[in-house]
Amino acid sequence: MTEKHKQFIRNLVPIFTLLILVFGIAAYEPGFLRPRNLMTVTADTMTLFLMASGATLVIMLGSIDLSIQAIASMTSCIVAAMLPMFGGTALLFALAAGAAAGILSGLVVNYLRIPSFVATLAIGGIMTSVAFWASNERSIYISDEDKLVWLNWATGTTAGIDHEVVVGLTVLAVLSVILSLTRFGRLVRAVGSQERAVVASGINVNGVKFFAFVISGFMAGLAGLVMAARLGSGSPTLASEFLLPAIACIIVGGTAITGGVGSIWKTFVGALIIAVVRIGMTFVGVTVFAQQIVFGLVLVLAVAMTIDRTKVSVVK
Amino acid sequence: MKTVLELRNVTKEFPGVRALDSVNLHVGRNEVVGLIGENGAGKSTLVKILAGIHRINEGEMLFEGKPTSFRSPRDAFNHGLAMVFQEQSIIQTLTVAENIFLGREQEFLRFGIIDKRSMNSAAKVELAKVHLNCEPSEKCSKLDFAARQMVEIAKALSLDGRLDSDIVILLDEPTSVLERREINLLFEIIGELKAKASIIFISHRLDEVLEVSDRIYVLRDGAVVHETASADASITGLHEHMVGRQLDHEYYRENKQRSSFGDPVLSVRDLTIDGELRNLSVDLAAGEILGLAGVVGSGREAFARCLGGLMLPSSGEILIDGKPVKLNQPNQAVDSGFGFVPSERKSEGIVSGLSVAENMTLAAGNRFSRFGFIRFDRERTECQHWIERLQIRTPSVKTPMQSLSGGNQQKVVLSKWQIVGSKVAVLDHPTRGIDVGAKEDVYELIREMADQGIAIVLLGDTLEEVIGLSNRILVLRDGEVSAQFDAPAGAKPDQLDLISNMV
Repeated sequence: MTEKHKQFIRNLVPIFTLLILVFGIAAYEPGFLRPRNLMTVTADTMTLFLMASGATLVIMLGSIDLSIQAIASMTSCIVAAMLPMFGGTALLFALAAGAAAGILSGLVVNYLRIPSFVATLAIGGIMTSVAFWASNERSIYISDEDKLVWLNWATGTTAGIDHEVVVGLTVLAVLSVILSLTRFGRLVRAVGSQERAVVASGINVNGVKFFAFVISGFMAGLAGLVMAARLGSGSPTLASEFLLPAIACIIVGGTAITGGVGSIWKTFVGALIIAVVRIGMTFVGVTVFAQQIVFGLVLVLAVAMTIDRTKVSVVK
Repeated sequence: MKTVLELRNVTKEFPGVRALDSVNLHVGRNEVVGLIGENGAGKSTLVKILAGIHRINEGEMLFEGKPTSFRSPRDAFNHGLAMVFQEQSIIQTLTVAENIFLGREQEFLRFGIIDKRSMNSAAKVELAKVHLNCEPSEKCSKLDFAARQMVEIAKALSLDGRLDSDIVILLDEPTSVLERREINLLFEIIGELKAKASIIFISHRLDEVLEVSDRIYVLRDGAVVHETASADASITGLHEHMVGRQLDHEYYRENKQRSSFGDPVLSVRDLTIDGELRNLSVDLAAGEILGLAGVVGSGREAFARCLGGLMLPSSGEILIDGKPVKLNQPNQAVDSGFGFVPSERKSEGIVSGLSVAENMTLAAGNRFSRFGFIRFDRERTECQHWIERLQIRTPSVKTPMQSLSGGNQQKVVLSKWQIVGSKVAVLDHPTRGIDVGAKEDVYELIREMADQGIAIVLLGDTLEEVIGLSNRILVLRDGEVSAQFDAPAGAKPDQLDLISNMV
């Protein structure tokens, strides 16, 4: 029972951290708590959350996906370049490209038996080149008309609710259902917890890993679409600063880098924490360039706190 | 005789298990002390406490009369307690000399650079002590297993002359992979060593312990149950102390052993696994228990892993119900009707992060899901049924697997294959590391599985277990079947008959 309580409290730590940060900022700037402002902050956070949402599954496997920022940048270029010609088909194409990047990572990890960090680092490099090629090495602007017709689902507002938040909550719900109610979701946790035992039980572990990478690629692609919609342009470096905060928000939310433990709502909370920290730093006067220092420190600290040391006998 | 190493009322508890129960033990200078006990008796816990891997809960350890607690095996080594483990600590990519002096290179430093020549000549001295004739500059990967074992012993001996304190050398199952000639050499070396050091000799081979030791401790269920001078001991006497009873037919549920079997289920034809197993052929009927006996490396582990789809066969044929099956992947093995219970329960048997129910239905494919969604109510009903039937002690089906005791974990693993409906259960050391009461439960369960018509391939933790449970026993030696025994209830073959075919 005590172990259960401890687990319960551990689950609540990120939420309390978030609340403390929010009220801390509110003490400086009471206007921060206005509903409209909170909505904007949440909407701003959703691109980060989308990018980290699929990668959460990969980290729960005990692997990692370092290609998500490259995939997001690539899909932003694809959608910006293709919208004028193909209209809505461009969206499907961009999402398919994101998923395809995940397929490549999955194949490389499974069939070449290459550790995921190397595989996804390499695939990420390839995706960056695809983005440069698709964009002719420059930013591509999306016309206001195209934006209104094809991207309003991502950037509009309905009844005071920003669409980014709707998209984010939908992804949160869908991935949470997949993780907690399906056999695939259970196997993701199982592989992350004890892969050899899952193999010995006759489970197709490669299939589980493959789908996790595909979901991660797809979600990173979706994040790229929403980013392009918000900024009104696509660029091969659009998301390049997002990898560190994305991994950080997964871990800060309480998902263990060693695998087996985690959930999507944790990443959701983690993304909000990262966003609020970012805002707090701006208040305090930390420049954008120095903010990566803080994210780096937060990541190391969060990993140190959540890591399962029984699994890490040798650190390489 | 001066006491060098002493344990006083040492108790060590792990969650749910008392691994050592106020153990008292002392080792005198220039004495060879034998330590025997069945698997799970507490030998390895004791070794790990001496090595500084585990901490003592109660009691104390004294080295040269002073209370001591080593922080790590290296710390123990630096203080004069050297261990030679079953699993070797030799690093294969380093040379013999580099291994012997690993971490102690200061001795050979000249201006911060290792003087290889003086290190090699110092290594030569240590190698001479174990009569190993190899070049110190040779890579350890080039040596065979026995030679690497000798290097390990040489490493322990290198303490001699470099320390002021007494030296204790602990040999943990040093003979299990050695040939008779090498064992004789080892014993000769131990005889020479006695003049310089104290020795703790751990083995499950009673004759060897009796031959080499001055004094013997018998461990059972975490406690020292007997202490004797070797001169006053006999093999049968030691054995009785070790198992704690006369050979007991009740223990293995011999009265429940089947004498008639169903249809043939498994046929193996000329199965060969390169370097492990040659031309094994065997047939097994529903409800029959086939025991496999053999030492480490005899091929029986390879055979079991092959049936689990975890090791590729090189040639030969495996048939289930007369139809050939492919076992290149574990999922093919499961689909063909095999259920493999691995010897490494914690890393291969259970998924510690999942719940009891999730472990039970792990291998059951889509039986508890529809369109990929888990049917939790169905799953709960099925799991509760098995928890009651196998008397698994767990607060609920949702309890994390890691909070169950070893015996209950193993019951969950066994129930996993019964839920799948496996036709052949391959049990690789099913009672390893679980306590005596739970062992009996597992024996009962194995009998029940046989009654249900499951064909069972059993690799026992002890020879006694194999004999007690099996209908038929295959003895393997160097990858080949060396003998076959029928083992009907009431007419079991003798251990010595098996052993003579094992080595």
